[in-house]
Amino acid sequence: MKKTVDVSIPLGPVHPCWKEPVRLKCETAGERVLRTELELGYMKKGIERIMRGRPWQEVMFLAERVCGICSVVHNMVFIETMEEISDIAVPPRAAYLRVIANELDRIASHLIANFSYCYTIEHETLAMYLLNTRETLLDNLERLTGSRINTAYMIPGGVRFDILPEDAAVMLADLVKVEEEVRRHTQIFETGPLIALRSRGIGFMSREEAIRSHTVGPTARASGVPDSDLRLRHPTYQALGFEQITRTEGDNFARVMVRFQEIFQSIDLIRKCMDTLPEGPIRGGGLCKAGEAAYSGEAPRGELTYYIKTDEYGRVVDIAIRTPSIMNIEACAHTMIKDVTSIADVTATFISSDPCVACNER
Amino acid sequence: MIRYLYEKDLRLMKYTILTSTKHDETVRAIGRHLDMTDAKLRRAMIRRLDMSLLENLGSRWEMGLKHADDGDPLAEELGRELFTRFIPLLDTETMQSIYNETRSMMKEGSSTDEALARGKARVREAILS
Amino acid sequence: MSILQDIKNAVRSRSIHVAYVDVGSCNGCDIEVLACLAPRYDIEQYGIYVHNNPREADVLLVIGSVTPQWVDKLRDIWDKIPEPKVAVAIGNCPISGCVYNRRGTLTEPPASKYIPIAAEVPGCPPRPTEILSAILSVAPLIFKDYEER
Repeated sequence: MKKTVDVSIPLGPVHPCWKEPVRLKCETAGERVLRTELELGYMKKGIERIMRGRPWQEVMFLAERVCGICSVVHNMVFIETMEEISDIAVPPRAAYLRVIANELDRIASHLIANFSYCYTIEHETLAMYLLNTRETLLDNLERLTGSRINTAYMIPGGVRFDILPEDAAVMLADLVKVEEEVRRHTQIFETGPLIALRSRGIGFMSREEAIRSHTVGPTARASGVPDSDLRLRHPTYQALGFEQITRTEGDNFARVMVRFQEIFQSIDLIRKCMDTLPEGPIRGGGLCKAGEAAYSGEAPRGELTYYIKTDEYGRVVDIAIRTPSIMNIEACAHTMIKDVTSIADVTATFISSDPCVACNER
Repeated sequence: MIRYLYEKDLRLMKYTILTSTKHDETVRAIGRHLDMTDAKLRRAMIRRLDMSLLENLGSRWEMGLKHADDGDPLAEELGRELFTRFIPLLDTETMQSIYNETRSMMKEGSSTDEALARGKARVREAILS
Repeated sequence: MSILQDIKNAVRSRSIHVAYVDVGSCNGCDIEVLACLAPRYDIEQYGIYVHNNPREADVLLVIGSVTPQWVDKLRDIWDKIPEPKVAVAIGNCPISGCVYNRRGTLTEPPASKYIPIAAEVPGCPPRPTEILSAILSVAPLIFKDYEER
């Protein structure tokens, strides 16, 4: 009889599959994972501590440096929290432009998440296709905002730049191309027999467990948590007729497929925005006042909450940021990876929850 | 020189996580629920929970208050599911034995307050042990 | 200079293995390094392979201001890389700490306190083309005539 031994296998902090440092200690019997422990602290920069006592003009730029992948949404949620504190109204054209920038960023983020997953299960061809498609979107983001990653596009009471008619035309043409490419990639992923073997039924998380650890975003939606997309409560998205995508399988395959489906949805949202883009100013102006508010928005990875307290000069007195990765990584490490039958699947499962350690630790 | 193990003392980093605004609020709320001093509770948490659970403390506590132990006042007061499944400070067997004992104490005729105080004291003891 | 050395130089200039280590950044530079892999920039046409394995690397890309966990471990990773080796700092963070080097921070920049940095690519984040040209221009300087030094 083959002997099975209990071992503790540490993965990381530097691991070929992981884009960011994190250390995962798996206690295993043979190759079956019994329990895991996560060691963080590799990315803890103390950004909340840096933000305290600074004027909002500085915190705005710090906020997008919480996370480089979804920097647009960090900017957006911070600015919308400041607007909520100070009762600043946004002109309708600016609100639509914000949605366009945010959705471009969301598609890019979902593409890089699925790239990482395909790269981890060693489907390098599909991974490279996805990464190349992402470049097209970043080009459009750069044309709209002036920068690829840290854009600082939104300010209280509006956005910085209007969209030029020629840029809009290029963006629409590019979106047709992107949609076509992503449709092909989705088909490759959905029907690939080897991908199914590595993905279906692995890293399962039930709906109850998803609720217990408060998972958010595509990870929760893949486990069938209803009403878990905060875009349903955002006025601009409501005007655009947004509907949530939910799957029920709760495995690695479902999580990646939810992201693929959301890419098509985001493309449709951008098209709708372009069609119904209202005329008018892009900046309304306004003064940031004293107050306190907690405000949530939907980041590519899920619910992002900013709790801010300001004084009468618009300085940030106290701030707490709850990023989606905090919940998702925790649920992934303690629920999904448990009972995975092979160490090779541990990395794939971990990546499937789209972990962003920089967000997680701030 | 080859070092095979590079385990680092994580206590200071865990403490940094627990002292940010929202985490501090949560620790105080849990402390109030259990009648425990914050410092003792923090020490127990640093020893028992890993870093990712500590980061997620706030949302787990919120979801625990919303969903744990629905409809059982005694379990709710002791935190039968709250402190085992949502915030795993105790293992399930210890919690179940505390719960059973408190229940039987109440059946045997001691007042609810007395039984509860006894049960909570045992929960605190188990957390600190 | 011998013919053998010429051949070695020619081969080495087309075979550069890269590992990257994120020592506490916002992730922006990370994904710009990843973007170099995309067929548009096609890092492999220059003979650069990204493995993210320090033990077979020639070039180490250091990203981010240095967080408490990395203070002792960054040196460990550097020691694991076989000679000849070179470290390139990507982004503002390893150079100065960027926005994180303020009151209340937990980071301890710059990265050059811990390991020798041969080249720096400033930017927040730098473009993939800049990262690519930095690697291409620094690697031959280090690896040329390595045995004769």
